Amino acid sequence: MAAVANVPLVKVSINDVEIEVPKGELIVESVKRLGLEIPIFCYHPRMKPVGMCRMCLVEVGFKQQDGSVRKMPKPQAGCTLPASEGMVVYTDTEPIHADRRGVLEFLLINHPLDCPICDRGGECPLQNNTMAYGPSTSRFIELKRHLPKAFPLSTYVTLDLERCIQCGRCVRFTEEISGDHDLAFRFRGADMQPSTFQLTDFESKFSGNVIEICPVGALTSAKYRFRARPWDLETTPSVCTVCSNGCNVWFDHRAGKFVRINGRANEAVNEEWTCDKGKFGHEHYNAADRPTQPLVRQGDGFAPTSWSGAYDPVLAAFAEGGDRVAALVGPRVSNEALFLLRRLFERAFKSARVSSNWRRTPGSGSVQGTIADVESGGPVLVFGTSLADDLPIVHLRLRKGATNAGARVVNAFSRPTEVDRFAAVSLHYRPGSELALARGLHGLLAGTGATAEAVEAETGVPADRLREAVEVLKEGGTALSSQGLYDLSDGPQIVEALAGIARATGGRSECWATGANEQGAIELGLAGEGATATLQACAEGRVKALWLVAADPFALHPDRALVERALETVEFLVVQSPVGSEALAYASVVLPTALPAEQDGTYTNCERRVQRVQPAVPPPGDGKPDWRVFSECLLRALPETPLFNPREVMEAIAAEVPAFAGCRYEALGPEGTVLGGNLLDTPDEPAMVGGQA
Amino acid sequence: MAEYKLLLEHADDPAYRTLAGYQAKGGYQALRKAVGMDRQAVIDEVKKSGLRGRGGAGFPTWIKWNGIEKEKTAPHYILCNADEGEPGTFKDKQIMETVPFLMVEGMTIAGWATQGDHGYVYIRAEFCDAAKAVRQAIDEAYAAGLLGKDILGTGWDFDLDIHLGAGSYECGEESALMSSLMGERGMPRLKFPHAPLPTVAGLWDRPTVINNVETYACAPFIVERGGDWYATLGASTKNSRGTKIFSVSGHLNRPGNYEIEFGTTLGELIDLAGGVKGGALKACVPGGSSVQILRGDGLRDAVIGYEEMWEAGSMVGSGGCMVLNEHTCIVSFIWRTAQFYAMESCGKCTPCREGTKWMLQIMERIVRGNGQPGDMDLLMEITKQIDGRSFCGLGDAAAWPVAAALKVFPEEFEYFIKHGRSMIDTPQARALAPRWAQTVGV
Ligand SMILES: Cc1cc2nc3c(=O)[nH]c(=O)nc-3n(C[C@H](O)[C@H](O)[C@H](O)COP(=O)(O)O)c2cc1C
Ligand code: SF4
Ligand code: SF4
Ligand code: FES
Repeated sequence: MAAVANVPLVKVSINDVEIEVPKGELIVESVKRLGLEIPIFCYHPRMKPVGMCRMCLVEVGFKQQDGSVRKMPKPQAGCTLPASEGMVVYTDTEPIHADRRGVLEFLLINHPLDCPICDRGGECPLQNNTMAYGPSTSRFIELKRHLPKAFPLSTYVTLDLERCIQCGRCVRFTEEISGDHDLAFRFRGADMQPSTFQLTDFESKFSGNVIEICPVGALTSAKYRFRARPWDLETTPSVCTVCSNGCNVWFDHRAGKFVRINGRANEAVNEEWTCDKGKFGHEHYNAADRPTQPLVRQGDGFAPTSWSGAYDPVLAAFAEGGDRVAALVGPRVSNEALFLLRRLFERAFKSARVSSNWRRTPGSGSVQGTIADVESGGPVLVFGTSLADDLPIVHLRLRKGATNAGARVVNAFSRPTEVDRFAAVSLHYRPGSELALARGLHGLLAGTGATAEAVEAETGVPADRLREAVEVLKEGGTALSSQGLYDLSDGPQIVEALAGIARATGGRSECWATGANEQGAIELGLAGEGATATLQACAEGRVKALWLVAADPFALHPDRALVERALETVEFLVVQSPVGSEALAYASVVLPTALPAEQDGTYTNCERRVQRVQPAVPPPGDGKPDWRVFSECLLRALPETPLFNPREVMEAIAAEVPAFAGCRYEALGPEGTVLGGNLLDTPDEPAMVGGQA
Repeated sequence: MAEYKLLLEHADDPAYRTLAGYQAKGGYQALRKAVGMDRQAVIDEVKKSGLRGRGGAGFPTWIKWNGIEKEKTAPHYILCNADEGEPGTFKDKQIMETVPFLMVEGMTIAGWATQGDHGYVYIRAEFCDAAKAVRQAIDEAYAAGLLGKDILGTGWDFDLDIHLGAGSYECGEESALMSSLMGERGMPRLKFPHAPLPTVAGLWDRPTVINNVETYACAPFIVERGGDWYATLGASTKNSRGTKIFSVSGHLNRPGNYEIEFGTTLGELIDLAGGVKGGALKACVPGGSSVQILRGDGLRDAVIGYEEMWEAGSMVGSGGCMVLNEHTCIVSFIWRTAQFYAMESCGKCTPCREGTKWMLQIMERIVRGNGQPGDMDLLMEITKQIDGRSFCGLGDAAAWPVAAALKVFPEEFEYFIKHGRSMIDTPQARALAPRWAQTVGV
């Protein structure tokens, strides 16, 4: 989002058309205002311009007092040239076309031109620029350089050094965006190549992005390499459901099968980046062990059945079960499915025992601002979370705030994290002393007589560091943590202490969910008694029928013995799951379902932004979306008018759940909509983005 | 005209390398005078002197000094470019080794004139003796209160440090030098009009003066004897004032550094170096490997001056004058030059990175006897695709010598391409050829 500060306008002339542009705007951007394009390779709008590739050369002159134009003797790189008053630019002259041919000829002399087998072929800037501006033949008759074709930078990223055009985008990404400086150029001149230091692993948690910004097929995804040609792929706009950030992505598929994930621009959320978990963590779409049809238990095994054949025993086991029936829900279930599940349990089963909360202690976090607010430049206390792991995009934006807007960051965690690289103060406390530190900081900031030395004794954080942190935090700003804090035994008290810090400094307290729809479940009132209580009730025989919805308790709950006892003890276990899981072995009935990109629905991300997914590929076999399973159960169990599409479900949510008031699919703009914004006032236009005060 | 020893007058006197010896010969009178003058008056003297940068580009020095903000808002830096990487040039080496105080005092004067806080001498690491001599001079100056805190009781502080380079020609390019000094890869940075001038945002984005060793070494004379006096030297030329040290090398009887007044002719310079050795004068590259080669006939009368050399078809450059006798194969000479630039291209920009390598590949093919009919045109085209298109001057500097040689000695290229061997077929030439070329019978 271009910050619209008070930048004066200047008059420039581009191909003899006069326009006004903000002073200092790069000419490569200014020409777009006239619908023109300057070809580029190394320039990337989200990174500092470097002028390396020289593809963007333009002729430049300056208007003189007498009206004549003084041309600069040499062509200039349009990607680094800031607009100034009286600047005269030509993008379409014969000398410029000759320069473009020259640069492309240079880039191609050592390029292997293995387009027919290249992942990038068909979506390659080098191909496109060559077609549009390049020479048709080469005068190069020397030996081309030969270099490793499949150099493994990491498990995920494979580098074809012959294809590299040394544009530096990948290196600059790690310097300017991810901030890990994992890549650098080694060697000089024509031998220069991007590399990790000492050829160690490319460990960045954001490494996948370089594959997308590489203007050739040099950086390839080890998962996607040689698996498809771009023109064979279909793509569907989607949202990543690996974590609560809700990155916008392109979900690429071929013949109904998932192929790859690419970042999709949403300035409010991920700009255009993804983290590596999102980029490479969608393999389960093609997993071989996905359940494909409803199954009912038969002795030690299962017998396939129809959906009706599965619903009958399930409804019989749960009907009017009251307290003795329960459901546990995983973190990646859509708003619509969560809502219908709750309705099913309340209305048909008379049970309130539906819980999505897998944390050790209860709590519902706190959301006051947005992801984009994080980069605004105010002081930020990151507390008890490794941001790059738990909230990766928030990490990138906080880093941007620190490096571009001068945000002062205090990072409190028990071990070093990536945030330390840009933090003004790092507080590494003894594990288990979170509460003492949060209360101690609160005390120091509120001036309640606490001393830094006393806090040091309790937490192991040097008193001087604490005083430095207080200096930063007394300016207000944001206390930022994740609901991972509730996995600690004193989670709620820690979150309360952080809220106290915010109150004491006039700042905000953000304790954000980490699961893809963890926040949605909180909004829809599904936090419930918590998984631990439900599992205990199962283990003690107080619950006779348990419904697991896209939740593998063995993966989600730390107490394995409890999970085993619970699943063994319950009389009836429904495992409703899109993927294979350990819990299947205990199931009475198995209901195969769809993964997020196989269904229609919405997700609520950590900043309460509701975003829509749509079916990109079909679920395997007879799999159904979760919401439809619940809708069909409701139809069978109650004499109600069923809700037979997710759009209607959302309308019902909007009518019943105050936070969602006014939320309709039509009102979800391209960037999604933050709950509690101006939803009610926006009848038909896309809703406002980031409309929270 | 004879030699005019201004900077190098005491070069042979070891005592001059000590502070006592330097001061005994009038050293530091200039700084004492400068600190008694208004800062602007010092810059005005430099303006009157007509001093132009000795690093290669010949940019008026006073404009740089005058470009530093007068109302100080940030630390100011004074950088000395002592990277001297240009093949054929070795005058900064001698200045630092034999008259180091001139450079140190000159930098201090520049510091005074621009309210400098910190100076760095960026010396190529191979110049061990030079670095040692400069280190010693700096240490002595500190001990005598001529550097450091409260210099000469003015209340003005100025520190001076040495930074050793790591062996890249590109690090002599002023913006790459700053990258290197800041701990980054030695690659050039954006320049005006793409970024502010170094005088506005140079090292660490602070106002920065950068000059060559020889440029600074002129400053004490300008301040002490006055800009008007300095401007009398070289007055016969269009716009080149003072003296210039030329590193004269090649087929000469007495190769070495010779300081002359602007206005001297190339012939006089060659004679100073004892005249051409081993055969008749064939060609001369007057200003370092980057500049255009001149044909022997007529070059003796070419006048040394920035504009005059340009009119003669070449440049003063950094003053690395390479003289070649009749047994030199120009094609092989250019092959070697092309090799240097391909090796030293930093890799940042496409035209230089790819173009220098391609030119070298073609040159190498030609000197191995596999030249093709279109090679000369192709080489010329490539130089045009590099010249003015590269990110920094290295690309231009790689293109000029090739383009000039193709223009000035086309017959040698034609012959080599047509016959697969050099046109210069004398025993002496064969002895001069590179060893591998001898084995392939070139
Ligand atoms: C590739 C390249 C290498 C250069 N190397 C040197 C060098 O070794 N020494 C030097 O003084 N100037 C060198 N220069 C010139 C500097 O960029 C700069 O113009 C000079 O330091 C300015 O000082 P001056 O004004 O005193 O000449 C080089 C320029 C280029 C383009
Ligand atoms: S690998 Fe790709 S992004 Fe990196 S320098 Fe090479 S071409 Fe550019
Ligand atoms: S011209 Fe380009 S590649 Fe050559 S040294 Fe300069 S920046 Fe590097
Ligand atoms: S896009 Fe401008 S130099 Fe690469």
